[in-house]
Amino acid sequence: MELNIFVQHFINALSLGSLYGLVAVGYTMVYGILRLINFAHGDIFMLGAYFVYFATIVYKLPWAVGVVLAIIGTTVCGLLVDRIAYKPLREAPRISALISAIGVSFFIENFAVVVFTGMPRPVVQPPILMQPIEFSNGVRLIPLGILVPVVAFILVGALLWLLYRTKPGLAMRAISFDIETTRMMGVSVNKIIALAFGLGSALAAVAGIMWALRYPRVEPFMGMTPGIKAFIAAVFGGIGSVPGAMIGGLLLGFVEIMSVAFFPTLSGYKDAFAFLLLILILLFRPTGLLGEKLEDKI
Amino acid sequence: MRRVRSLTLSVFSIILFAVFLNKAPELLNGYWQRILNLIAINAILALSLNLIYGITGMFSLGHAGFMAIGAYVSALLVLSPAQKNAMWILEDIYPWLLNVNAPFIISLILAGLAAAFFGLLVALPVLRLGGDYLGIATLGFAEIIRILITNTARLTNGSLGLKGIPAYTTLFMSWSCLGIVLLCTVCMLRSNFGGVLRAVRDDEVAAKMMGINTFKVKVLAFTLGCFGGGLGGALMGNLITTIDPRMFMITQTYNILMIIVVGGLGSVTGSIIGSFLVTTMLECLRFVENPITVFNINIPGIPGMRMVIFSLLLIVVIIFRREGIMGMREFSWDIFFPKPKHKKVKEESETVLELENVKLRFGGLSAVENLSLKIKRLEIVGLIGPNGAGKTSAFNVISGFYKPTSGTIKFLGKSIGGLRPDEVCRAGMSRTFQNIRLFGHETVLQNVMIGSRVRQKYQWWQSLMPFIFTDVIREDSTAKAQAMNLLEQLGLDEFAEEQASSLPYGAQRRLEIARALATRPKFLLLDEPAAGMNPQESEELMKFIRRLRDEFNLTILLIEHDMKVVMNVCDYIHVLDQGVHIAQGTPDEIRKNPRVIEAYLGAGASEGSAA
Repeated sequence: MELNIFVQHFINALSLGSLYGLVAVGYTMVYGILRLINFAHGDIFMLGAYFVYFATIVYKLPWAVGVVLAIIGTTVCGLLVDRIAYKPLREAPRISALISAIGVSFFIENFAVVVFTGMPRPVVQPPILMQPIEFSNGVRLIPLGILVPVVAFILVGALLWLLYRTKPGLAMRAISFDIETTRMMGVSVNKIIALAFGLGSALAAVAGIMWALRYPRVEPFMGMTPGIKAFIAAVFGGIGSVPGAMIGGLLLGFVEIMSVAFFPTLSGYKDAFAFLLLILILLFRPTGLLGEKLEDKI
Repeated sequence: MRRVRSLTLSVFSIILFAVFLNKAPELLNGYWQRILNLIAINAILALSLNLIYGITGMFSLGHAGFMAIGAYVSALLVLSPAQKNAMWILEDIYPWLLNVNAPFIISLILAGLAAAFFGLLVALPVLRLGGDYLGIATLGFAEIIRILITNTARLTNGSLGLKGIPAYTTLFMSWSCLGIVLLCTVCMLRSNFGGVLRAVRDDEVAAKMMGINTFKVKVLAFTLGCFGGGLGGALMGNLITTIDPRMFMITQTYNILMIIVVGGLGSVTGSIIGSFLVTTMLECLRFVENPITVFNINIPGIPGMRMVIFSLLLIVVIIFRREGIMGMREFSWDIFFPKPKHKKVKEESETVLELENVKLRFGGLSAVENLSLKIKRLEIVGLIGPNGAGKTSAFNVISGFYKPTSGTIKFLGKSIGGLRPDEVCRAGMSRTFQNIRLFGHETVLQNVMIGSRVRQKYQWWQSLMPFIFTDVIREDSTAKAQAMNLLEQLGLDEFAEEQASSLPYGAQRRLEIARALATRPKFLLLDEPAAGMNPQESEELMKFIRRLRDEFNLTILLIEHDMKVVMNVCDYIHVLDQGVHIAQGTPDEIRKNPRVIEAYLGAGASEGSAA
């Protein structure tokens, strides 16, 4: 394979992987705290993409303003989902919250169909992000391909700082160990949970925005497959672990892009690889790469 | 009397319904006939998913995949060669497939079997996972199946799908299929095997100790459920007459999940009611997507609105009535009527249990270090030690929950080191747990009956047709009588029909012992039987433990912190401290042993007491 083509694939894998990683971080935070697969997370991601589409393309706001508005709007939606659909079920069996999550996912997708219509809408990319940069050895890159992983790494780095260097981060980690004990330490558990949902949704919004720029269109069901794959990425990395989610996302991105790059005949099976890899990982290392072992006490 | 009444009423209403179905083509238009068909198919699908999830407790999101397999197998079998020839446009159909043909009924059975076969393949690896991981893995499998169907065009015609499938699914067909599935499910769930399934859901660990190979039971239930999925898919394909891979997306599974959640997880009646409600509602909601005219105002149809309302209802149900319509209850005719008020063991070798240099390590941490002990027949032996001494770990090694890192365990002369808990149970050992582990949703009687499943001879598949294999009924009634007998002996008979989790604490402890006894053990392990008891209750417990030994010919090993109980009831005592076996002897010897006093009270205490 030529260097030029390989670099292209590498950058593609890196940016797809870091998008998966950004979404996976939201799954992993919520799962780490509530042991809940937030099925609606992929749809939150979709909302981020739609909000930025409306702000910049329909209402012609500058991109910087549109992005900020989209992140705020998506975060609010994420918080509302927690408040309305999950909070009343905190004391219920875990499965109830899970089914509620499926319901919310259904609701957001179809609400989007009602409000935005089911038609895919093209996104006009800002030209500055698409202007190819040419290197002397013939490698061509578009700025967007580099921007995506850079933004993702900065955000995950900031999140790690928050988790490991600040009080709310400490509270969040404590809750994931033992929610009852943390409550007794005087931590307002519901606020910390809301914080986790808010942060996860904000990151999903950023991922959604960058996704809309990279694959330039938005549609109501665009969150479904990336959402499930991001969850798989979170399981890869070890659910509950933020660095794990990012690593899992990158791994998945590389597997998908490189398998198609090297074996083009298998491109129809692209989506199956993720699931196959998931099942293999679950069988041989059920707690993922960085996850901790949970055992039933006898 | 009550059974005859219920049976008569059931038969009568089935006949009434059959007459209605017979007349339905004249009474109802095509639209409502289709809904009626869909209700039956959805009920089959819901029953099968409920068996996997509601009854056996395996969270599976893969049902759509198994439906797809069923639908394709059946369609490929009933389509005529001419139709197949015309349909495969992009790629040629495999020549062998072109002429394969089978009657509809055979195709239904093969569809179910094919789905069950794939289900088995999936179950063997993935059912080792639990909870949410299982859900995601099964969802993944369903997706893989869909991708395979899309990409194997020579076999399945790929994304173009299959069209013109003969509409063999008549009202008669779909409802008779439902009738058979329903009958088999109800029979199975009423037998003791059904109790076993629910026991696995409620507490897998305890079920293992009842001699149940829980993995095998789960694989079985999963495979059976997949059969139902395939059958439902095949009926669906022959009703709609067109299938393609997009029909079997995760949304399809969600719909079935919705039905069983609305009806009540774990309730057969709930699945039927759920499919009536959800199917009818989904169809009726179509009106919001069509243009309507109210008072001369035209409201254009809103695409997507139907699913918005549907998903809102799902959320509302789960928040405000999460147990669904039926909860775990079942329909019974009795609700319309006022309630009426209402051994000798063969001589065995003298040594029952022998441990030799048993070690158990978790990574670098040594939980049990070189434990060697012998327990003689009909002895009551205590295992004591401060917290973290490794007592429960020793129990877990003996009863097969942990594999010893090294050393041998001999039970009744045979080595049992490394056997699974269910195998250990079958060898004649049973135990209770420190934190009581009852099958909380089951009645007291059912809890004890599950303990006797290990001795029953009938096979699980016979429980599908108890009217043919009368052994099922006979053995279950024997098991019931024996269970009642046990409950009487332990003074629990008044609670027989109550839910186990509703019992007072002391009675729950006794029930756990009763359940352990139902497996007819020769050796019983009691993990802190006196925990949480007041002095008077523990006094009674001591008498009770001696009685157990005398009446049931048991050898007993118990962990206990209540020294009064230990010193009074035990013939012999072993002491552990931080995994090390530091002393053994009669209660008097132990009381005076300086190492024991040191372990409990710290260094220096023994000199103090000596002085």
